[in-house]
Amino acid sequence: MLLFLVNNVTKFETSNFSDENLDLISFCYVPPICTEWHAVASWTWDAQDETCGICRMAFDGCCPDCKLPGDDCPLIWGACNHAFHLHCILKWVNSQTSQAHCPMCRREWQFKE
Amino acid sequence: MELQPTPPPAANLHVLRALTPDSVQEILHSYAAFCSSTASLLSGDLSATGPDFVSNVHALCNHGLRSLVRDHFLKSLEDSFESNSVPRFWRCFDDYRNVGILEKSEGGLDFENRVRQVLYGALEEISSDKAYQEKCLLMLVRSLDSYKESFPDGKCDLDDERTYLFSRYRLMVASVLMNSLPRHFPEMLHWYFKRMLEELSTTVDGEVDAGDGEDDCPDEDDMDLDEKGKASFRSGKMDIDESTFQGKLLENNKLVRKIGKVVHDLRRLGFTSMTEDAYASAIFLLLKAKVHELAGDDYRDSVLEPIKSWIKAVPLQLLHALLAYLGDTISYDSPSPGLKSPLASHQSSCSPGMNTPPEGLIRWQLRLEYFAYETLQDLRISKLFEIIVDYPDSSPAIEDLKQCLEYTGQHSKLVESFISALRYRLLTAGASTNDILHQYVSTIKALRTIDPAGVFLEAVGEPIRDYLRGRKDTIKCIVTMLTDGTGGNPNASGITGDSLLEELNRDEESLENGGVEEDFNTDEKQAWINASLWEPDPAEADPSKGSRNQRKVDILGMIVGIIGSKDQLVNEYRVMLAEKLLNKSDYDIDAEIRTLELLKACSVMIHFGESSMHRCEIMLNDLIDSKRTNHNIKATIKPSQTEPQEAGLSMDIFNTTIISSNFWPPIQEEALKLPEAVEQLLNNYAKRFHEIKTPRKLLWKQNLGTVKLELQFEDRTTQFTVTPIHAAIIMQFQDQTSWTSNKLAAAIGVPVEVLNRRIYFWISKGIITESLGTDSDDHVFTLVEGTSDGGKTGGNNKSCDELLVGDEEAESSVASVEDQLRKEMTVYEKFIMGMLTNFGSMALDRIHNTLKMFCVSDPTYDKSLQQLQSFLSGLVSEEKLELRDGMYFLKK
Ligand SMILES: [Zn+2]
Ligand SMILES: [Zn+2]
Ligand SMILES: [Zn+2]
Repeated sequence: MLLFLVNNVTKFETSNFSDENLDLISFCYVPPICTEWHAVASWTWDAQDETCGICRMAFDGCCPDCKLPGDDCPLIWGACNHAFHLHCILKWVNSQTSQAHCPMCRREWQFKE
Repeated sequence: MELQPTPPPAANLHVLRALTPDSVQEILHSYAAFCSSTASLLSGDLSATGPDFVSNVHALCNHGLRSLVRDHFLKSLEDSFESNSVPRFWRCFDDYRNVGILEKSEGGLDFENRVRQVLYGALEEISSDKAYQEKCLLMLVRSLDSYKESFPDGKCDLDDERTYLFSRYRLMVASVLMNSLPRHFPEMLHWYFKRMLEELSTTVDGEVDAGDGEDDCPDEDDMDLDEKGKASFRSGKMDIDESTFQGKLLENNKLVRKIGKVVHDLRRLGFTSMTEDAYASAIFLLLKAKVHELAGDDYRDSVLEPIKSWIKAVPLQLLHALLAYLGDTISYDSPSPGLKSPLASHQSSCSPGMNTPPEGLIRWQLRLEYFAYETLQDLRISKLFEIIVDYPDSSPAIEDLKQCLEYTGQHSKLVESFISALRYRLLTAGASTNDILHQYVSTIKALRTIDPAGVFLEAVGEPIRDYLRGRKDTIKCIVTMLTDGTGGNPNASGITGDSLLEELNRDEESLENGGVEEDFNTDEKQAWINASLWEPDPAEADPSKGSRNQRKVDILGMIVGIIGSKDQLVNEYRVMLAEKLLNKSDYDIDAEIRTLELLKACSVMIHFGESSMHRCEIMLNDLIDSKRTNHNIKATIKPSQTEPQEAGLSMDIFNTTIISSNFWPPIQEEALKLPEAVEQLLNNYAKRFHEIKTPRKLLWKQNLGTVKLELQFEDRTTQFTVTPIHAAIIMQFQDQTSWTSNKLAAAIGVPVEVLNRRIYFWISKGIITESLGTDSDDHVFTLVEGTSDGGKTGGNNKSCDELLVGDEEAESSVASVEDQLRKEMTVYEKFIMGMLTNFGSMALDRIHNTLKMFCVSDPTYDKSLQQLQSFLSGLVSEEKLELRDGMYFLKK
């Protein structure tokens, strides 16, 4: 029902544009001119999980060592498709004496190409 | 020459027993002659004191009847005084029984002069009667003395006779007058002294004013020519004044001399203490009136010094002259005061130094000053509420009060009176939380001056803090006051546009620059210090950075002390900051960065963890990043991408704030279907973001942000800054001028209730009208055709360039702290209701402790007492609970 209406209106918008509205324009000079549109969005790493399996902090937050999220504290995906904070997995990998494994699936850790 | 059958006093009976008939005869004869000449003497015949009188006195003395002679003479004086002089004296005042009332009905200078003349006349008459009697008495003394001189060893107590008789006489005069004193006489004296003092005060004030004129001249430079002419005229007059100054003082002295004469006469009639009471009470009354006149309802000037100099100029000058005058005349026992004494007193009274003021005068000065301090203090305390409202403009009044209290030590008066004023005037349902907070801050600032130790401040602040804790919007108002100089307090006096943090910081900085208190010029200050007897307060005298810094800490501490937890304050600030940042259409956050820095600085001082403000920093950083990213995206976006130009939308006018939502307070998300053209822009923008920042993605908050629209009418163009939903609504009308509410709601993808609420903005602007449709639930919204009859805006021909949609709708994009708390607390609601059902009523503490005890898991109760209180007051306002005497009940 809602979809129908929306479609209907959209159709209406695109098809009825022009002629018929001339008399309206003489009274009130619509359309309003938009001089600025300032939108708001949030960013996300779009990982499958919410939190990093190593530090338990949110992916869209940052690792315990970082002050700022986003570019400064990126995510990295392994070949196994598990994601971690870059700083977290690097620490993890470096701390492993022999071979490093993904903390989640125990498979050998490889950065995703 | 008739016999006076006066019975001889009993004490002389033994003398009579030893008498021969001859001597009896002689006694009877002498006594009769003595009595008769006494009578004629007293009736005015001075010749009656010839040698006969003396020999009769001697004869009676010879028979050991000296005391009879004295007693009879004094008795005769008394009879004559009592039956003639005294009634005549009192009769003079019969017409002025109620001088206060008469003054009102008759009034005027005439009346005043008449009363004065009556008083002077009556005093003169009775004094001359008395002088005559004293002369008579002196004759008796001489007769008795000459009798004594006939004995070789009698010489030594000649003076005793005289002293004895005169002191008995004085006692007699005083007691006769006192016994017959009419009640209206003291009143009249009081009135007389009051009027005389007022007159003296007026003349002296005139001189003081003329003297002050000199100080006004330095600002001559600022005057235009016209004014300069006047000024030179004025200073020309000054010279004349200088020469008339002496004359005026003499005139004063005439006045003083008159008063002195009256006091002198009255004293000699035995009215010493009554007279002193009369002029003392007149002086105090005048002083009180003067304090009220000088102090008034103006708190912006210090009045203590003018009052003190007035005391020196008027009452003390008078008293000095008076004491000198009386001191001189008292030492001479002559009935009429010598002419030189008033002159002598004049010389000492007008010499500026008063080289060695007599002790009596110093006592008077202390008495008068204490009285003035107390009067001013009471006056200021009774108006302390208004004074604090007026703070800091009223700081001179506060400074005065401080000095008064230091002198009188009556601080407790202040506390009691001020607390009751607070309860009555401020801590009422009608006062806004903002007003209460601002008064609280002013109180802290003002009372800190009076009471650096903060003892009384603690007592006065407690009721305000208690009251504020019960208000739901307290934290929000505190944060606003601390951090926001713009919207905080519309009716604050003094500096606006300045947050409290900024103000405290500025105080500190001005101090670092060796700041002097602004409106106190240094010369004046020095003069003040010199003139003042007070030791400057050590803290005040040496305002080191530390003490001022301490002030900042104290003020912040007392404000934050209202809120139980400091984290609550930061949370509230974060919500407000989010709200502000999300409504920015530019990326200008200088003010917010500054505020956060100030807040961080004080977080160190009052110990709320800097880490809790880390999130705020990230929010600000998001804005900085957004600006950069926004620029990159727009600069690199492919221009080929189709942009629907017909809606006037292009990437040029499009900007985005990109937030790290994890660090922001929960955002109110509402579904919204934006116009096609805008959706297109969003998609392109998001795509480019993803390209630049892979693998990051954008999630749009369609309902957030700001849109600037320009609506053109026949005669004008109006700009609106609105939310996206308002823009989406009005843009729907470009293709279709009339919509039913259901259809329009569907078109923009929001619930009908939301639409109905939001479209009100356009209705209120007269751009859309609402009418009932066929279905009663379904309203019809129609674009107004032509705006000249557009109702609400039609009347207003002035073109408003920008109308902001903001405060009039209390819609916020960020969930308030209260909402968040509410959400978290709702789980406990059923516990609380259950407890109250079982226990009937519970105090806050007990509810808190019970929740802590029983809600140990899922979810654990981890809220503070204040958070619980604010949640409960929400339930009270929803009428689920009731709060009486600190106990919560279920609402029935
Ligand atoms: Zn991590
Ligand atoms: Zn990191
Ligand atoms: Zn894995």
